[in-house]
Amino acid sequence: MPASASASARLPEDLITRLSSATDDGEAKLMALRELKNQIIGSRTKKLSYVKLGAVPSVVSILADGSSNSLLVQSAAAIGSFACGFDAGVKAVLDAGAFPHLFSLISHSNDKVVDARAHSLKIIYQSKLAPKYDFFQERNMKFLLSLLNSENENVTGLGESIITHSCETSIEQKALSDAGALERLVDLLGGSLCQRDASLESLPPQSHNPGSVSTKDRYPQTRLLACMCLIVVRNTSPSYLQDVGTKTKLILILLELLDGPGLVGDEAAFSFSSLIAEKEDLQKLVFEANVVLNLVTDLLNHDSANVRAAACICLRSVSCSVKNLSAGSFMNEVIVLPLIKLLHGSSTYVQVAALGVISNIVVNFTTPKSAFMQCGGVKQLAQLSKSMESTVRVNAVWALRNLMFLKDHRCKEEIFLELTASTLASLICDPEPSVQEQALGLVRNLVHGCIDSVEYVFADDALILHAVGRQLQTASKAEVLIEQPPPLTLSLPTTLHTSQLRHHPHSSWAYSPTLDASITTTTVAIMPTSILASSYVPISLPASSTLATSTTFVTPFTPTMSTSTITHAFAVKAVPTTTAVSQCLP
Amino acid sequence: MPVRVVDSSAPSQVSGANPSHTSPPACTLLSVGQAFSGTQNVSSLQKDEAWRVNVRIQGCDLDHGYLCGTMEALNVPMADTPVVTFWEGEIVDMKNYTFFTGKWEATSEVDTRHWTKFPSFSPLLSQVEVDGGRSLDLSNYPYIFMRWKEQYFVNVGTDCGLTIAGFYYVCFSCSDGSINGFYYDPNSSPFQKLELKVTNEGRSGFSFSSYELQ
Repeated sequence: MPASASASARLPEDLITRLSSATDDGEAKLMALRELKNQIIGSRTKKLSYVKLGAVPSVVSILADGSSNSLLVQSAAAIGSFACGFDAGVKAVLDAGAFPHLFSLISHSNDKVVDARAHSLKIIYQSKLAPKYDFFQERNMKFLLSLLNSENENVTGLGESIITHSCETSIEQKALSDAGALERLVDLLGGSLCQRDASLESLPPQSHNPGSVSTKDRYPQTRLLACMCLIVVRNTSPSYLQDVGTKTKLILILLELLDGPGLVGDEAAFSFSSLIAEKEDLQKLVFEANVVLNLVTDLLNHDSANVRAAACICLRSVSCSVKNLSAGSFMNEVIVLPLIKLLHGSSTYVQVAALGVISNIVVNFTTPKSAFMQCGGVKQLAQLSKSMESTVRVNAVWALRNLMFLKDHRCKEEIFLELTASTLASLICDPEPSVQEQALGLVRNLVHGCIDSVEYVFADDALILHAVGRQLQTASKAEVLIEQPPPLTLSLPTTLHTSQLRHHPHSSWAYSPTLDASITTTTVAIMPTSILASSYVPISLPASSTLATSTTFVTPFTPTMSTSTITHAFAVKAVPTTTAVSQCLP
Repeated sequence: MPVRVVDSSAPSQVSGANPSHTSPPACTLLSVGQAFSGTQNVSSLQKDEAWRVNVRIQGCDLDHGYLCGTMEALNVPMADTPVVTFWEGEIVDMKNYTFFTGKWEATSEVDTRHWTKFPSFSPLLSQVEVDGGRSLDLSNYPYIFMRWKEQYFVNVGTDCGLTIAGFYYVCFSCSDGSINGFYYDPNSSPFQKLELKVTNEGRSGFSFSSYELQ
């Protein structure tokens, strides 16, 4: 501004002389106040130098004796500016005795004066140096209530700031509660919202432009302060504010404020974290409001790779719940598209983190074809399953395996065509056991379902079947006794053709009628060899007969593969081939 | 919350210290992905009515006595589409949950009244009356008792005119995978019977797919 440019050329001492001159030249003082204000705004160095030069007492004396409203407004504003974010300024303001003057004129007839003073007091109350407000004096409580009940947003804001600053003990909270201050705060939460909505509605459509938002912008600060008050109250004394409605309202308002501009948005984030920290009930409410999800999803597009990875890890945690997954909140383009984009990135750890989320969210119980497939994610997973990095590989295959879970034939075909039989076969024989395990799980899900699905393992000269067979063979060769691992069971199709099992060199099957838990299904049990030796009778399978229902097979457990690897291998190996059923066992 | 039986007061008939003995029998038909279909009788004094119901198990954690899945009611008169709900189940394993519900407005009398509707419960009744069934070892019992509580509507809003306030007392047969249940909600008609049979959804046999969350 031209005014400040010319003023800055003057010496500070000169400015102070003009501020404290005994003459009644109001205009000159006003000019000096404006100059001072413009110089110190946002500059700690300037504030400090003017404090040292003794400018504050001069301003306070104008505040006390100001002859015009303009002088009162400008002196209050200058005081606020000294105190803003600068403790030495707050101290100087308090030492100069500004406090009572600011308070006494809160009931001034001029709105601008009231606004300016309330604003400055609010700033002072943001500092720890501000004197503690004594809620136990009846006069004080009355005054506070009058502030909260004011129609002026700045004045109610001041009331809220005072509570946030000074209410520390449960006795003080009780005093506030008894006097009806809490009730009023809750009103303010809702009231401001209504006021805002009302003010927006009352605006003609053509005024819905950035300019008109300024009316809106005045409100968030009040709402934030009201929230902060309630959070302070709740954090010191949880017995207050137990009402779910209020808690939810608090959360929703803070969330809305998070999107707010500048300072309000930043402060809302801190208030939010202090509200929900270590309080499971509130965290639950927050999650139900879908808040975390929206916030974290935004971070998937963050500039920093570390933040993107952290957002993925966070999403992976919240999606590791069947209950949350079934609600269907994850499978939409807003989440899926940025995740797929992350798969294209260059950093392995972000890719792995993104794959972690994907492997959870593709478990889709509701719709046959997921948004993930529609967005072209399968191609990228197939690509990453060939990565040189084993962590990328295992997570990509894991995601494909989960994606294949309960899919219809058409979806399976789409995934299979992208992945190819040869890639799948090499994944089954991957050097990393964890990759083998996921690959076999993938095959298991691939062949599950209609009879056509079984055909996949016979594709390309039964490439996949042979790969699975090789795994079984490896397992049977490395037979080592393991101390009491828990038995695992799984079911196989009701009709099995033993010739499929027999052409394999692996023949150490055992049969146990006692383990059978369900008559109508065939159960294969992977058992520790120690149990096997004592309780199970090895059998040799009759050639070309079909195994009926109610049959349990047991095979020695080996440590070279994880139990689930063997489990999957079995499930695949025993594919249904004929419909003939005949009883074949002893 | 139902009484959580601590290990020290585990069923007296259980031999050894292996906690897996207290888990229900691992039944292959009670596993993830398995589908069931049948009906729920919602008859009242005014009219006879039954809704077709499909159930699919989506999650299972026997160690914690936990099961969850979806339930789809097909010919609900006031809904245009099938109504799908998500439910969570408590398995009565005497480790995590007992026969006594202790919540959802179900007193022990209500519990007994419902459990005794299952013929397979009658051999257990006397022991349940003595000590709530704590000394029972259900690990080899051919039936698994559960409570299923619907948690939310999957595909319709809460304003659909339907309620999920109540819960089901459920009895699952390990031998044939059939499920019987009785819906309990103090504000709905009593003893609405749920009858489900295991289905292989047109496949030539039973096979099981799997997923793993991380």
